[in-house]
Amino acid sequence: MFTANTTLMLVATFLPLVGGLVLLLVPKEQRRVFEVGSLLVMIASLLLSLPFWFGYDRASDAVQWAGAWSWIPALGVKFSVGMDGISLLLWLLTTFIGPIAVACSFGSIEERHKEYYLWLLVLQTAMLGVFITQDMFLFYLFWEVMLVPMYFLIGIWGGPQKLYAAIKLFLYTLAGSVLMLVALLAIYFLQHKTTGVYDFSLASFHAMAPVIAQQTKSYQSLMALAFFVGFAIKVPMFPFHTWLPDAHVQAPTAGSVILAAILLKMGTYGFVRFLLPILPTATKELLPWFIGLSLIGIIYGALVAMIQKDMKKLVAYSSVSHLGLCMLGLFAFNPYGIKGGLFQMLNHGISTSGLFLAVGIVYERRHTRMIADFGGLSKTMPIYATIFMIITMSSIGLPVLNGFIGEGMILMGSFQAFPWAAVVATLGIILGAAYMLWMFQRVMFGPISAVNEKMTDLNLREILYFAPLVVAAFWIGLYPKPVMDVMDAPVRKLVEQITPGFHAAQDLAAKQAAAAKLGMKGMTAPAAHHDAAPAEGHAAPADPHAPAAHDAAPAAHGAPAKVGAH
Amino acid sequence: MTPFAQGLLDALFRDAHLIYPQLFLMTVATLMLWPLDLAFARNEKHRWAPITLVILAVTALWVLKTPDGEGFSRMYRVDGLARGFQLLCILGVAGAVALSMRLLDSLKQQTVEYYALILFSLSGMLFLCGASDLMSVYFSIELMAICIYVLVAYLRDRATSVEAGMKYFLLGAFSSGILIYGISLLYGAAGGTTTNLADLNRALALAPRTSSLLVFSGVLMVLVGMAFKVAAVPFHMWSPDAYEGAPTPITALMATAPKAAALAAFLRVFGTAFHGVSTDWVMPLCYIAGASMVLGNVAAVRQESMKRLLAYSSIAHVGYMLLGVLSGDLKAGAQAIWLYMLIYIVMNTGAFAVVIYLQGMGEGERIEDFRGLGRKHPVLAFAMMVFLLSLAGIPPLVGFFGKFYLFKLAIEQGYVTLTVLALLTSAVSAYYYLGVVNQMYFQDAEGEAAPMGSMAVFIVSVACVLVLVGTAFGPWLLDWAGKVFVG
Repeated sequence: MFTANTTLMLVATFLPLVGGLVLLLVPKEQRRVFEVGSLLVMIASLLLSLPFWFGYDRASDAVQWAGAWSWIPALGVKFSVGMDGISLLLWLLTTFIGPIAVACSFGSIEERHKEYYLWLLVLQTAMLGVFITQDMFLFYLFWEVMLVPMYFLIGIWGGPQKLYAAIKLFLYTLAGSVLMLVALLAIYFLQHKTTGVYDFSLASFHAMAPVIAQQTKSYQSLMALAFFVGFAIKVPMFPFHTWLPDAHVQAPTAGSVILAAILLKMGTYGFVRFLLPILPTATKELLPWFIGLSLIGIIYGALVAMIQKDMKKLVAYSSVSHLGLCMLGLFAFNPYGIKGGLFQMLNHGISTSGLFLAVGIVYERRHTRMIADFGGLSKTMPIYATIFMIITMSSIGLPVLNGFIGEGMILMGSFQAFPWAAVVATLGIILGAAYMLWMFQRVMFGPISAVNEKMTDLNLREILYFAPLVVAAFWIGLYPKPVMDVMDAPVRKLVEQITPGFHAAQDLAAKQAAAAKLGMKGMTAPAAHHDAAPAEGHAAPADPHAPAAHDAAPAAHGAPAKVGAH
Repeated sequence: MTPFAQGLLDALFRDAHLIYPQLFLMTVATLMLWPLDLAFARNEKHRWAPITLVILAVTALWVLKTPDGEGFSRMYRVDGLARGFQLLCILGVAGAVALSMRLLDSLKQQTVEYYALILFSLSGMLFLCGASDLMSVYFSIELMAICIYVLVAYLRDRATSVEAGMKYFLLGAFSSGILIYGISLLYGAAGGTTTNLADLNRALALAPRTSSLLVFSGVLMVLVGMAFKVAAVPFHMWSPDAYEGAPTPITALMATAPKAAALAAFLRVFGTAFHGVSTDWVMPLCYIAGASMVLGNVAAVRQESMKRLLAYSSIAHVGYMLLGVLSGDLKAGAQAIWLYMLIYIVMNTGAFAVVIYLQGMGEGERIEDFRGLGRKHPVLAFAMMVFLLSLAGIPPLVGFFGKFYLFKLAIEQGYVTLTVLALLTSAVSAYYYLGVVNQMYFQDAEGEAAPMGSMAVFIVSVACVLVLVGTAFGPWLLDWAGKVFVG
């Protein structure tokens, strides 16, 4: 019906904003109009985004559906858009979460409906914009614009501590992003100095990587740290995470869902899109610190989650832990790790938003989120218990469900790069299973109190907004290949950007492994090559099952090598 | 007639066309005091406000039509920089005059002197924008400031207003003394030949090494005197009290027009005359700018009065704009400051209009008085939110573009630490601006919605539309600003 193209991408992105402006004309008493209207807008945006999933050329690592219009010629700023596989997945996740966020608000928002749905729609456009932009200036614009709607969503419709949480979220993120702006401008001027043109395009920033690598070490480290702090606050990584529990706990359910599913992904997306490709050398210099912070985040988040009495706070801290895992994967700098990290970003979006929705359900009914107030809910709310169970399992990484794939890949990737880190991360995953299952047990089983007995099970609307999440969890868990294929080429490109010659080294290692297996000692290269491969950044040791080996070995050695590879 | 006097008269007639706008303002203002004032009865004085607006419009047109040139023994020049900042001054004054109409009515304090003083002060600002000699800089500053001292103390039956006027006058006079002393030192260092800015630059370069201390102290004293006029830290002490005590329209005026004029002089003096001795003033100015950003923003956090909050925030904004003076590139710096000032004037006038509106409603100027404004007057509250977020520099509002150009310039010139400081303090500023937003939207309203006053609401709406339009066309603003300075 629709073919994926730039125009359609822009329509899908800006539709929520336009819809919001139209709703502005409706008198504010018309609660129903705002609810249904914004839901329809979100669904329309989702439908318009679907062709991109099918139309994406999985073989190419280029930015697809690119379009650029002159905007501020004096500064070299263009209104430049386009997506590669990584942005596509997050963009689709955003359009996917949009209708769910609206639908879950019908029951819980009791006042000022007009403003609420308006801010939700504005927020949606800002988030979608971040993922499609191919221009740093535009990116910064969208990145900052997001803050204002979120500030209002938490500040007006939040819990008792909403003011504190809203301003903390705002200032924390703002402080991080202004540092990022300085680094951005510094690179922009460096670029002008070397090439003589002013250009804010993402591609030109990526092209700066070799030039930046020649700058002084302190320059590089400062740049990397400025980007790192900006993104780490958004992720959030330990020790920049303190805004997150406050924001999550105080936000209305939809706010938490969007925060967890999309906003936190902005940070990880920032790492993948900007820090890693633009400043690979400096990032490698600082890598031990980054890895350390990721690991602390994993363990600390899990331990703190374990002792929480408030369900929402528990889920919030579990986010800290899970995103630490994502970051660990990304910092492995090999295809497994990065793919795993990206994959886990999607999974976290699905499972954690599901968890927040689940907490929202009981909160709407009881106006409390304390674990101690519940117990035995599975007796009165069987459907809810089932869905909650599935989502919990997805969150802790049970096979068949989505979380398993991502966690597995991250562990594989990080084991190749730093085995000890993978061991610590595994501990975090075990802790994750412990606190999630413990919460589930305390809420769902055991004796039921008189108040809780009166709680009603999910209604049709609630089942309907959980359904997509459950389906997605199973689909990704059972058949992750389509998702993997989308990020295959871009991740390959990213790994090359971080470690030039990574794949060639890996192919060589695979070739040698294959040869060694066949006993063709005469053909193997001297031992020096064996040492050279891992020395090239964090190139993996030979892995005969690596996809690269499948592609490369036959080409190099013909039939015998193919036998060896299997 | 002696030949000397004859020559002076000839020069006056030859160059008079350069200062027609100022002459027009002074003539009209004098005539307003007498006999034109007799035209209106005591209770009809408020009619002077629209008339003043018309006079301002005529002046603006005249400024636009004045050709480039230099005259009066090279003490005054008209060029793109002068014209650009003169228009800013007129804009700022026009906003203040429009705001005065309603407030002075409600205070029963309408007089013609008020408007005449504003016009006299404006003529001083116009001179200051074009002053190309340290002496004319000094004269223009005095003409501008003395009128404002009186205006600050205008509500003479209110102790706070008189106190503010007194404070402002004493400190202002003191700073003028420092300024003129600095000028005299430089005059001596330059061999007692010139105070013309361009000549001074050459003369200071040729000054003997033994007089370097003289040059240094002279430059520093001029810097201190100028910093007083723009209320930069640590020479800002007068401003919060003066802002709070002055009639609110005069507060709005003080935050915008005189600062625009003083910054133009700042740019010209430091970009031209002291260009060669930049080692003497760059570091002190860096500290002044940095301290203004930090103290302005941090002190604003703790304010309970909206006027004091805006006073401290204006100190911080001056700190940002001084980055443009530091840039060392006169033209680029002037462009960035001009753009920032233009945006700042619109946002600030709009914000003061909201304050005045609330004052007119019998409410005070405390931040708490904004409680529940989002419910009571959605339009006003929305506009105020736009102004505040724009002042905080949150993209995509136009305030962001103003900051962006300024900070971009600073980074380009290598002031990275200072820019980082500016950005971090602007994040702090978001805290107190959002505090007001919080009062308007997150707190419940007390009392019923009252009908809106027409003039303040009109100004608020116009300013809000301007900010929003500026937002939409923000990117093109710089190109436009560049064109203003062509020639």
